[in-house]
Amino acid sequence: MEYKQLGFYFDQTLCTGCKACSIACKDKHDLPVGVNWRRVPEYSGGSWLVDESTDTATNTVFTYYTSISCNHCEDPICATVCPTQAMHKGANGIVSVDPDICIGCRYCEMACPYGAPQFNPDKGVMTKCNFCADRIEVGGTPACVASCPSRALDFGEIEDLRARYGDQASIAPLPDASVTQPNLVVTPHAMAEPSGSRNGHIANLEDI
Amino acid sequence: MWHELPLVIFTIAAQMSVGSFVVLGIIQLVNWNTPQRTLDKVTMPALYAIGPLLVFGLAASTLHLGSPMRAANALLHLQSSWLSREILLGMLFAGSGALFAVLQWFRWGPHRLRQALALITAVLGLTLVYAISQVYSLRTIPAWATYATPLRFYITTFLLGGVAVAAALVVASYVRRRRGGEPDPEARALITRTVQGIAFGGILALGLKFIGQPAYLSYLGTEGSAAAQATLELLNGKYMWLSAAQNILIFAGVVGLGFLLFRMARSRGVSRLLPVVTVAAFVLVLSGEFIGRLLFYATMVRIGI
Repeated sequence: MEYKQLGFYFDQTLCTGCKACSIACKDKHDLPVGVNWRRVPEYSGGSWLVDESTDTATNTVFTYYTSISCNHCEDPICATVCPTQAMHKGANGIVSVDPDICIGCRYCEMACPYGAPQFNPDKGVMTKCNFCADRIEVGGTPACVASCPSRALDFGEIEDLRARYGDQASIAPLPDASVTQPNLVVTPHAMAEPSGSRNGHIANLEDI
Repeated sequence: MWHELPLVIFTIAAQMSVGSFVVLGIIQLVNWNTPQRTLDKVTMPALYAIGPLLVFGLAASTLHLGSPMRAANALLHLQSSWLSREILLGMLFAGSGALFAVLQWFRWGPHRLRQALALITAVLGLTLVYAISQVYSLRTIPAWATYATPLRFYITTFLLGGVAVAAALVVASYVRRRRGGEPDPEARALITRTVQGIAFGGILALGLKFIGQPAYLSYLGTEGSAAAQATLELLNGKYMWLSAAQNILIFAGVVGLGFLLFRMARSRGVSRLLPVVTVAAFVLVLSGEFIGRLLFYATMVRIGI
């Protein structure tokens, strides 16, 4: 299949944080321990409000999940800063690493606000989500999208995704979409905070 | 906090090399009416110490590569990557400096030509420091994408370069004397004058640092993003003591030199304290800058995840 620009869609209202997408990705690409192309940060926050007059307490506590891999950005900072051009935007708008050129300096890892490029110590080079390019080529579905039991993930031509689901992608803990122009559409959770918010934190840092 | 150690060593070594080269150039310029023979005798040993330092730094930088065998690929994206530009400028500075050192050693070529080459090397070096600052001025890292980054790196360049040169001059003169060299009052006066100048410059740099630091912290506090806030919390929380140690070490080093300056202004003749205080100042400032650079990387917080 040929696409102009592929993108991902993610529905925060459906995700239960089960991480089947992460595991399907890990299995498909045979990723070692510590390398997770798709991750599911858990964003939590809120507090208790005490009403003295009625002696009651109500909470504003929230937690929601965001399944995130690489968004194959329009303005991929990883490719801009890469000193070797190993990181590049190729067929179907997929951003990928050429393992024969990459020197493993990890500068893309330092720059990417989605944590997409990840260093594989066994190979000595950077690795990242390649949109399951082999499956895409034969008209298939990326492993993460196919695995989601809640059908919270979808993929396709970014223009189609935006026509169907809107164009929101600036939801915490993700960075503002203006920074790298990700090819990503998010349906926000009811308690979703905007990008850059200081009202919550990533509660499962060890997972991502 | 140690995982970026190769980069800490590379950036410090590169900045110290540039600073030392530029300070040596300034010494040559300021003392234009001192006989060239005396100038060369005093400054040349320091010049030849810069080469190994820079090579050491460049070698350390390859240690953080996953595939160091093809490190040369790092030059393939000059049109948009500051990292490529940084490596190119590092090599140009090293090459130009090496050529200058060789010409100078053998007294090859006219004096004017060698001076022109030294000027080109100094400009390449100062551009290298700018390139290093741009490598870290990433729009996804608010704690780094600010004027504070180039300012910080230039202060390190001049402060560390200055005290390194002061220590090198004093040590070289001590070695010459131990080897039974003729007492040379002219060279001695030049060294004393130079160390005084460097101490004075160091106090100015320290002043700039102590104005810059609160301004930087208030920038972090008011920038608004969760990432800048997180960096501020690391600096004021987890790394509070290291942050303080960095300032105390640099302050002690520079003020030690300043004290010497004051002493020498009052008692004519060379203080016996000169070698000890100068070398101690270098060690203190180097330790402070080293801790500061460790913290620079350790307090990096990116926007997003």
